[in-house]
Parts: sequence; structure tokens; C-alpha cells
Amino acid sequence: MAMTVDPERSEVRALRKVGGWRGVRVLEIGCGDGRLTLRLARMGARVEAIDPDASLVRAARRALPLQHADRVRYRVAGAHRLPSGDGSFDRVVFSWSL
Amino acid sequence: MVHALTEARRVLRPDGLLLDVRPAAVHRRVHLVHGAETRLLGVMRERFLDERASDRAVAAVLRSGLFTRVSRSAYPCNRVARRFVDFRAWLEGFAALQDLPSHAWLLRRVERALEGVSGPARIVVSAPVDLWVLRNGLR
Repeated sequence: MAMTVDPERSEVRALRKVGGWRGVRVLEIGCGDGRLTLRLARMGARVEAIDPDASLVRAARRALPLQHADRVRYRVAGAHRLPSGDGSFDRVVFSWSL
Repeated sequence: MVHALTEARRVLRPDGLLLDVRPAAVHRRVHLVHGAETRLLGVMRERFLDERASDRAVAAVLRSGLFTRVSRSAYPCNRVARRFVDFRAWLEGFAALQDLPSHAWLLRRVERALEGVSGPARIVVSAPVDLWVLRNGLR
């Protein structure tokens, strides 16, 4: 068992203060194993989540609950050449990755 | 980092928000929590080179007008281990990744503290996380 990050969910409370997330198109950069991705999806966001580490992206895909599968897409990519068109997202989140 | 922010701006809609979530440049504090007791065991010795570089990149894109600042806040973030082996794996990996000086002293201190308690205990690493919110500049 690894360490648990933010079991108190302070992160979710802080992100909710930014605004509503339901239906918001989000690009998450540096998703890692998808910890924050799932929190964004549970708040209703539609998330494209990228990370340059293919093994982490595989782990994130394996851990994606079925009920969020239509709102989350994981891709292997880095921040310096994003695989998305201009103006595609309402929000971009650097997830401990800038 | 400025290039990454510029690329992020490209894929954002004109008034979209960029959120930069990352650990603040504050030394992590390691506690042992046992029952109702919380004991500080040590304060880590990070260098914060990446954090400061990120702060400079954010400042640069604000100066250039690519983004406007909406807010900057911080929230507490704990990382919790219920087993020493998990804490050790995290600390050794983190220290290697960040090229930190040895934290063997902290491992010894945590191990000794765990030996001195009976029943379940938690090792808690605490540090604030910074949350920058920037708006895509309209020009």
C-alpha cells in the first residue's frame, strides 16, 4: 500500500472555490496515476488527461472506474506539444507538473 | 516552463482559466499520529529549485500579458502512510528525484518513534499546496 495523498480532500474544496466543474472541458497536464483526474471527473468535468510517462498512463487507465469512462480520456503526451486544437478547453490544470 | 504555459494558452478558449496546482516552497513537516497524539518528528530539507523556477515562469507570463491573475491561494495537503516501508519508499524516491541531501536521519527518527508506540499509527507528511488561477489574456 502506498501513501495516501490528501485524504481530507482539501484539494477538492479548493478547486470548488474556483467555480463549477460540471460539463467543463478540462485538460489536465501531468495527470500521473490519475488521482486528481478522478476528482475532477467526480465533480462533473470532462477531462483529457495527459502525462509523458506511458507506464503511469497505463496505470491510470486501468484504475478508471466505468462510471467515469465517458468523461475521462488519458493520453501519453507532454506539455511542450499538446495534442489538442486551439481553444479546445475551458480550463487547463497543471497537476503538480509546471 | 514558459513554453508549456504558452502552449497551454493556445489550447484554452480566450477567457479560459489556467490552474497551476503544486506544492508550495515550504519545508514538509513529518508527524507521527497515534491515537489523539500528534508528534512532530522532523522537517525536511528541500531545495525548492523547481518551485522557484515555476514561480518565475508564472511571473513571466503575467508580465507579458499572456495571462491575467485571478487568484493565488494555498490549501493544506497531507500525505499519509500507515506502514514505515511506504514512508521510506516515498522519501527515498522523492529525495532521489529532487537530488536532496540524505534524509536517513529522518528515517531513523520515524522508525524509532514507531518502535515506541503500540497499536496503529500514521506517518503524516504535511505541506501546503499553492493554487494559482490565471485567465487567458484577451489580446
